[in-house]
Amino acid sequence: MLRTDEILSTIQMLHAEHLDVRTVTLGINVDDCAGPDVGLICRKLRQKLTRFARELVGVCDRVAAKYGVPVTNKRLAISAAEFLLAGHGEGAAVDIAAALDSAAAEAGVDLVGGFTAYCEKGITPASGVLIDALPLVLSRTQRVCASVNLASRKAGINMDAVARMGRIIPAVAAATAERRGFGAAKLCVFANIPQDNPFMAGAVLGPGEPEAVVNVGVSGPGVVASALRRRLELQPHLTLGDLAEEIKITAFRVTRVGELIGREVADGLGVPFGIVDLSLAPTPAVGDSVGDIIRILGVDRIGAPGSTAAVALLTDAVKKGGAFASSSVGGLSGTFIPVSEDAALAQAAAAGHLVLEKLEAMTSVCSVGLDMIAIPGDTPAETIAAIIADEMAIGVINNKTTGARIIPVPGGKAGEKVEFGGLFGSAPIMEVRNAGASAGFVRFGGRIPAPIQSLND
Amino acid sequence: MKPRFDNAYVLNVMAEDRPGIVAAVSRAVFDARGNIDSCSQTVLCGYFTLIMIVSFPQPPGEAEFLQALARPGGRDSGFQVVMRPFVAERPAPVAGDCDNFVVTCFGPDSPGVIHRFSALLAEKGINIVDLYGQLSGGQFVLISQVQIPRQWDLAMLQADLEHLGREQEYTVRLQHENVFIATNQLRLTRPEGAGP
Repeated sequence: MLRTDEILSTIQMLHAEHLDVRTVTLGINVDDCAGPDVGLICRKLRQKLTRFARELVGVCDRVAAKYGVPVTNKRLAISAAEFLLAGHGEGAAVDIAAALDSAAAEAGVDLVGGFTAYCEKGITPASGVLIDALPLVLSRTQRVCASVNLASRKAGINMDAVARMGRIIPAVAAATAERRGFGAAKLCVFANIPQDNPFMAGAVLGPGEPEAVVNVGVSGPGVVASALRRRLELQPHLTLGDLAEEIKITAFRVTRVGELIGREVADGLGVPFGIVDLSLAPTPAVGDSVGDIIRILGVDRIGAPGSTAAVALLTDAVKKGGAFASSSVGGLSGTFIPVSEDAALAQAAAAGHLVLEKLEAMTSVCSVGLDMIAIPGDTPAETIAAIIADEMAIGVINNKTTGARIIPVPGGKAGEKVEFGGLFGSAPIMEVRNAGASAGFVRFGGRIPAPIQSLND
Repeated sequence: MKPRFDNAYVLNVMAEDRPGIVAAVSRAVFDARGNIDSCSQTVLCGYFTLIMIVSFPQPPGEAEFLQALARPGGRDSGFQVVMRPFVAERPAPVAGDCDNFVVTCFGPDSPGVIHRFSALLAEKGINIVDLYGQLSGGQFVLISQVQIPRQWDLAMLQADLEHLGREQEYTVRLQHENVFIATNQLRLTRPEGAGP
């Protein structure tokens, strides 16, 4: 029998602190849709996605109602689209993206990931086609999300690909200039891209995954913040070790909810359950903020000294709680610090407390990277590439996933506010200091070799 | 459950809470050569209540046994005691497969609220296996753990409860117990249809 206090504490977490399952992402392998005829590829894609995904929204809604836990987003992630593009040109890339867009709309999902290329060691013609098509793809579709892996622990950093993305990202932004460069918000570059990440924009069904699989992303910065506040009200003299313990316990509870929902949705769809990604993923809603947690941990201005240590404590405690809760924890699992999507971070950036360099330092201990960062539209391509290279280096050397989702706002100047709407939020355009001073480094090109730590076999 | 001896009874004791109640009741059972086969107690707002299954090798003198509980050594124990024969092989309260759910109701206190919610459940053959209610600052919290026959459409049931809740100005939720197990306990969640 359940105890009353257990029931009340779960009700508090679910309904007062708004714990939700942030995303149920159905991964679908589409390699068997490849072929020489683009029309046929698109038809097969639509058929396959519809066959696997038509029940997704209904099953998610039924399971959500049964447990009283909202499933906020239902999404699709295909196997990397670059494998469909072998032997094809940019026109095929655009058609395939349009087919994905319409199949996603038909399934009732808001985003479909996997318009992805793997370029950590070299750029194949198919990867090149995919990358060059991104401005058209991301400006002509609503739901397609793209990602490019530019670096890995084993391969090092492909600086040719980094430089190319430095040019493509502003081109994507320019192609969506009427929405302040929003297309770039659906494009993420990675080092060590995970194969089972359910969160957008980087979700893709990676190599070695099943034909179809349900991966779940749970979140809950609001739940963690409330738990910490409650503990501190009762016991104001706790240590950081005690607070880490509280975060760990909360992460355990949140992860268990995710696994419960994920397994039941997978059963309902008749596909295997993959992983729970426990990432504290903020939204612009008040109280759903990682920045708030940093402040509760005693760093009054986010970006002040101590911010990196606070994020490190948070990320580690979240991982530990998640690992104890489930044997199927995967994806990114840690802490996201997307500036526009987190009201407190956006506020700190607007106030000048949080600058790009400090964010970069924080990404060395968070679970992703420079995420949803708006920068001036006239930032040189080489500087964007160099920002990406720095982020890739953190991932490669530390053997972790890092990513960059940078939005060079066309015509935007540092300090202006940009509104992306909905879950993408709003943020000030951040100043890029020393812009234009990294061109020589990027122009060398080639590959930054894999670090000595990669020789571990 | 099969009691240790053939002559089994359900024993119910109520009293104002104080140290020594369990010691006194168990002493009386022991003195009558009986065995306590199962027991559960709860204390609510200073009042203690105890339910036990007790069994004896020979039928005890009931009047004598009750007297030993109510007036041990000639002094009034303050216990109210009820005893009735225990029937081991009872049919399940709800026929067929059931799933365990939790109904939580939060809203302004008013007479008849519990009746209205429980009557709706009773109408549908839903058995309440645990009930908790607490008044705090004019707001009432009611938590029922229930067994719902699998024939019921969950969405309809939730809609009925929420509708009744709105009429009473209550927030009502019906959620499967596994979400509470998952968030609070280290054990694995229960597969559906596994019963209580």
